[in-house]
Amino acid sequence: MGERGVSRRDFLRTSSLAAAGLAAGPLLAACGGSAGSSGAPATAGAIPKPRPGAQIRLLQWVSFVPAADDEIRRQAKEFSDANNVQVTIETVTGDQLQPKTAAAVEAGSGPDIIQMQYGWPHLYDTACTDVSDLVDMLKTKLGTVNQVNDAFCKVNGKYLAVPYCQVPNAWSYRTDLWQQAGLSGFFTTWDELASDGKQLKSKGLPPIAVSLGHAYGDAITMWYPVLWDFGGREVSPDGKHVTINSKETMDAVNWAISTWKSGAISQNTLSWLDPDNNQAYHSGLITATLNGASIYIKETYTTATNHKFAPVTDNAAQPKGRQGASTLNLIFNHALMKWSNEAETAKAFILYLMDPTNYQKWLNASVGYNAGPFKALSNADIFQKDTKLKPYLDVVGAGKWPGWPAQPSKATAQSQVQFVIVDMFAKAVTSGDAKAAIADAEQKLKRIYELPA
Amino acid sequence: MATSTRRVVIGRLAGPRVRLFAHEARLGYLLLIPALLLLLVFVAYPFLFGIWLSVSSAQIGENGHFIGLGNFQFERTDSVFIESFLNTLSYTAVTTVFKLVLGLVMALLLNQVFPAQRFVRAALLLPWIIPSVLSTLAWRWMFDPTFSVVNWVIIHSHLSANGVDWLGKTATALTSLMIVNVWRGTPFYGIAFLAGLQTIPVDLYEAARVDGASRWQQFRRITVPLLRPVLLVVLLLSTILTFGDFTLPYVLTNGAPYNSTHVLSTWAFAIGVGGGYIGVGAAISLVLFPLLSAIVAGVMVILRRPE
Repeated sequence: MGERGVSRRDFLRTSSLAAAGLAAGPLLAACGGSAGSSGAPATAGAIPKPRPGAQIRLLQWVSFVPAADDEIRRQAKEFSDANNVQVTIETVTGDQLQPKTAAAVEAGSGPDIIQMQYGWPHLYDTACTDVSDLVDMLKTKLGTVNQVNDAFCKVNGKYLAVPYCQVPNAWSYRTDLWQQAGLSGFFTTWDELASDGKQLKSKGLPPIAVSLGHAYGDAITMWYPVLWDFGGREVSPDGKHVTINSKETMDAVNWAISTWKSGAISQNTLSWLDPDNNQAYHSGLITATLNGASIYIKETYTTATNHKFAPVTDNAAQPKGRQGASTLNLIFNHALMKWSNEAETAKAFILYLMDPTNYQKWLNASVGYNAGPFKALSNADIFQKDTKLKPYLDVVGAGKWPGWPAQPSKATAQSQVQFVIVDMFAKAVTSGDAKAAIADAEQKLKRIYELPA
Repeated sequence: MATSTRRVVIGRLAGPRVRLFAHEARLGYLLLIPALLLLLVFVAYPFLFGIWLSVSSAQIGENGHFIGLGNFQFERTDSVFIESFLNTLSYTAVTTVFKLVLGLVMALLLNQVFPAQRFVRAALLLPWIIPSVLSTLAWRWMFDPTFSVVNWVIIHSHLSANGVDWLGKTATALTSLMIVNVWRGTPFYGIAFLAGLQTIPVDLYEAARVDGASRWQQFRRITVPLLRPVLLVVLLLSTILTFGDFTLPYVLTNGAPYNSTHVLSTWAFAIGVGGGYIGVGAAISLVLFPLLSAIVAGVMVILRRPE
């Protein structure tokens, strides 16, 4: 596999004791299970072993790529059969995952493993088990952790979740419409987006469209990078001082206002939720949009009948601003909950999922929708087979998190769920008053960072 | 001998039972216990727990400590909270008036004899029966700026060249919320009023007609007074339910655009569940409690007042 990662054979060959722990799942499977292990917590560095007869539950969202969920269910069954345990994968829609998680945390019972999105380990730190031993084990063999997964998982120096994956966000666009507009290449800067959008409009072609509504994925993945790329910051690196009211933020907001007013981006997106841009693209109503790879996957890989834009759909990475290019990707990590009575089995299952062979299968099943959080898992066969997916891999390295450059915290999570940054742009484009929109955001951010402790 | 033994056995069994049921007051309390337990567990405990949360610094997964009215004072200066509060009041007031009027009209029409009467009565209940999430999602599609069937009609009727951005502007988004709420809630009013109408003796109308009363006079002097108890109870229930409506605003707008269509329930959810500040969220949702209590008390007084 060369630079793309480590093969299963390489992985096992170079294993130390810790690596044996990492491969515990497959090895145990080959041995037909491991009797005699207990449900007691493992000491640091010890190999977690599944307890025969144990029953565990993993709660996660319903993936936009059903094959990815099918694969994780298959792996759960494989692990269950090999170790005489029962792993149940429970899925809920993305917007239901947090209420379910919050309810479980408040009740102090529920699934053994919960898929934590964004900075939830910081929100629910009291309910997450310290899994630093597991992450250290994985880091030894799989290499460094992506900075965003690391920031979300690490709370006060301890890993409260095991890095699992990213959902990279890049642009999907119609090459035929791009050509009809007389445009050569896809935009590489935010200013080019504005001029290309105007060109599309002048030719009467469908617009570039991005959500300005309360879409928990698409809206924040668009507007945080715009802010950052113009140099704007929500809060100081120490997370104590609100810094939104700056010349750089003004530049970003003014860019949004002029782009909106000129019709370079669609003006119908103030209420868009996450599925809306997908629907609009598949219906031929927009030319380009920022999204996970699900648009491209649906056009190219699914067996649905609506593949009319497959040959003319391509993808591109995030454009640059005056101060660089950044992305905000959806992040998933696995937290082992404190109430679990089967912590050892749950840990063994998490390791099983992170086994390079298993992980590679899952990545390939998700056809580019997901990317790995460890260096050795940062690539997948699918990205080599289909070069159109490469932009999704390219944006992973530029990933940041809401509230950056401050470390994720309860306050940054609060700012995110209140859509303060997205709303700042939305207010500005509809009112045309950048100053008022920024002042409003500043007032809200100050309140957030001053919430009662 | 056998008969005598049976009597003795029955007597032994019947003895304590008679004593147990002999005291009506004790029996009354005994029979009350299951209902009381249910109320305590499912009503009193969550309510008291909510009050505790609202005066504490609790966060999801952390109990917090008592901070008095700190959460309320903090929210008092929040512009989104104030907007949500006003939205909740206007949302409830406007929709209640429309539901009341349309529900009454619906009931009066359904009270007439016409073909397929039963089928129509059942069909009109559909908006109330369908799960709110499903029906609201359908409305979201109808209001969608790109796919809106409502806009299609508006554009093809030449009422507007571009249609209406239903969910993209504060005023139209709030109006959309109200339209869907009225659509969903009117059947409840209609069926409840219909039930009330059917308890009014027909003789009264016949007597009124003999006395030369017009239709309007019959409505004012017979229908409205006799419908008053049902009307007040429905009004009370609907007001409480609309004040606390969550599903519809959450699914239709989730506060967008720019947090301008939040009602208290969705804002409390965003802060309490999304952001983890469950104490502040509880305080937001309890803000209307005094107002709702006053409304309930007022309606109860009116209901008990003699004609």
